[in-house]
Amino acid sequence: MTASGKLAEPVRGQVDADGMLLSADPLLMRLHLRSGGAEGGPLAVPELAEICRISRRLRMNLSRAVQASDDDCRIDMWVETRFVASDKEPQVSLAIIDWKERPYDDTDKIDPARERDFDRLEGRGAIRTDAALRIISLQMPVESGHLPDAIGQSLLEIYDVFPPSAHARLLEAVAERQPIRNQRMREKSGSQRLFLFQGQPLIDKAGIFAGYRFTAVPDGPEASGQDAQAMTGKLISDNLFGFQLGPALRQPLGKIIANAETISSKLQGPLRGDYASYAKDIASAGRHLLDLVNDLSDLEAIERPEFTVAADDIDLVDLAHRAAGLLAVKASDHQIRIDLPDEGGKLPACGEFRRSLQILVNLIGNAIRYSPDGSVIKVRVAADEEFARISVTDQGDGIAAEDQDRIFEKFERLGRSGDGGSGLGLFISRRLAHAMGGSLIVKSAAGKGSTFTLSLPYRE
Amino acid sequence: MAQQDIPMNEMMNMDIIRFASAMADKASFIAEDFAQVLFPKTSVIFNDRMRSNALQYLRSVVGQLEQQICVIATREFDVAQDVLQKIANGGEGQSYRLLADSGLLRTTEIVQHLFIKAQQSELAARLLQKISQQDLEATLTRHLDHQDPVVAEAAMGLLVAQSKTTGTAGEISASLADLSAEIAYAFAWPVTASLARLSGLSGPQLQQATERFLAAHDESAGVARKASRLAQLVEQSGTAEDNIPHPMRDGLSLFIARLARQTGLTSDQIVSFTAEPNMARFVVAMRAADFPVQEALSVFSALDGGDHILTAATYQETDRDRALALVSSWTAPDAYQNAKRILADDSLGDRGK
Repeated sequence: MTASGKLAEPVRGQVDADGMLLSADPLLMRLHLRSGGAEGGPLAVPELAEICRISRRLRMNLSRAVQASDDDCRIDMWVETRFVASDKEPQVSLAIIDWKERPYDDTDKIDPARERDFDRLEGRGAIRTDAALRIISLQMPVESGHLPDAIGQSLLEIYDVFPPSAHARLLEAVAERQPIRNQRMREKSGSQRLFLFQGQPLIDKAGIFAGYRFTAVPDGPEASGQDAQAMTGKLISDNLFGFQLGPALRQPLGKIIANAETISSKLQGPLRGDYASYAKDIASAGRHLLDLVNDLSDLEAIERPEFTVAADDIDLVDLAHRAAGLLAVKASDHQIRIDLPDEGGKLPACGEFRRSLQILVNLIGNAIRYSPDGSVIKVRVAADEEFARISVTDQGDGIAAEDQDRIFEKFERLGRSGDGGSGLGLFISRRLAHAMGGSLIVKSAAGKGSTFTLSLPYRE
Repeated sequence: MAQQDIPMNEMMNMDIIRFASAMADKASFIAEDFAQVLFPKTSVIFNDRMRSNALQYLRSVVGQLEQQICVIATREFDVAQDVLQKIANGGEGQSYRLLADSGLLRTTEIVQHLFIKAQQSELAARLLQKISQQDLEATLTRHLDHQDPVVAEAAMGLLVAQSKTTGTAGEISASLADLSAEIAYAFAWPVTASLARLSGLSGPQLQQATERFLAAHDESAGVARKASRLAQLVEQSGTAEDNIPHPMRDGLSLFIARLARQTGLTSDQIVSFTAEPNMARFVVAMRAADFPVQEALSVFSALDGGDHILTAATYQETDRDRALALVSSWTAPDAYQNAKRILADDSLGDRGK
């Protein structure tokens, strides 16, 4: 359906005394059929049938707003009925003068799949429990190992509260349906790793407590016994960011960002406009710092000799859609459309899921950052016998030939500043691509946009 | 205890024996009336101004209706009957007293309509204490310049409808054009029966006149429908500046229609929420519609009639998911909500669970 807003001519229909649809303009007929009606059968759009019924009962004319739905959209209409009394058979004629279609409003809903992608991208685990803290779903970082038969078990059967003295406090928070913040939990079996849990109580549509959604981040210095041993005797370890500064900085930075966003959105009350603007600047600077911390942690990780990546079976088409989903809000802020390969297609490749997603988020994120508002970013896939390829093409200013190698160097910004980049993204992405047995290249010309292509080993 | 306000000399002229008999017939209802005052079932407070306004409105609607029906009967169906002709020519109607005494105006539908009208006039009076009439009128003209001509046209329609019905501040102006089809129907038939009785006319002409009146009634001309249509168009146009409705920016009718639209409730529900203590359900409706805190506080203070204060903390602590669930439950059909409430009554015990 394509009609929208005020119609040049009303959409008309005629309903007899028994509610049968005698005639209908194409738009109304299509809605009637989509609602399960048949030609000549009872008017099958419940909201329209109801207004006709009232008009017939009162033998009066009505003029009302009506909202109907079909599979694809909601339709806001303004409907006028005319009751036609006749000796033979009274009829009701319908005239729909406004017809506005809008897709179902899912913008407020957090897509669980998208949320999981964020978790995976940032190396977080996610656990969903029911109201009795029994695990309903569990997805933990690869390095935490396999937790057999965790589903259905109580969270406290799988994890110990750490330190044990916090056990009562945790149960109290659960009983009061309070958010759970920074609770350390240790796996009872397997790798016995420590995690930092954050839990949000879930309230269903009827307002009833339905359980918790936890995110779990491997907890820093104690994260790995081996690493802890390696650090013994050193004031500053070789893994400065990954295990020491990174976690230490992320938490206060997170607080700064959250508080600055609260202030800038004036949630706590009125605030002078310039102060709100300062708070926005603080939040933005905080996010930039956090990105930098994350990049430095990654940088350090990939430069360690023992750095390895997992060889997951991945689908580049699926990854493209996930990465675009993660950046959808950012793209729509700039009215940028991301043109993706057909979702039904597949391009199997071999590489670590999280790292491949990280590269694509970096490439598409850069494309959004350096493209003009209202432009289109094209993501395309291709394959040959050896490699599966995914390319991201933007309509930005392009990169001069002499700069094309430099952009993959550490901290190289090509003279740009203040755009939120750290100059590490492409360096890290290329190193990750190489670590997965692939490559990352760019083709560009000044003023003609850029195409970044990630190649990963093709999987049959 | 209030007394029926009939001067003694007038009463004497009426034949005191007949008057005394009438009083005796009604005496059994004294306890019922007094019980309603002593033991109200809701916490809503009806002040004298609301009662006076509602009665005045009721009298006016019945009067206009009987005149309209008499005009059609005498001019279009050539009924030559003194009582009907007198009413058609602007003479004082007599249906109101007859219908009021008979209890035919006490239907839930009519009384609910009166309550909404009286409360709307309360809200209008409160708003006028905080904004001048001139500013209030200016609220609508801003939509006249809307970039979408359909919105501008609908705003003009509302402005015209309002100009026809606006009474003096704090009073309800009764206009038949403002009645919804259901309410016009609910009023018209008792009035017709009353006219038949008063005139002694036995033919079908009065009934036919009423049918003709109802068939010609155009509810789209009323303020409520015009506001509802403009609300639909404004919400669809969705410009950022128009995003959050406010009675001081939109005017009362449009504000109510917009909030109703955003919450899925009816305009009548929104109005009745504002009569409840602390406007609690109104606040929940704003929370469900995701009004930012400052806007919600401002709307609350614009419509509050007492010295109630809605604090930012109270508003923010109102859980939005629960507000949505509650508002969603209030959008269910009245019959279902009533039945559900009765079945949930403790007096039924565990039966049916």
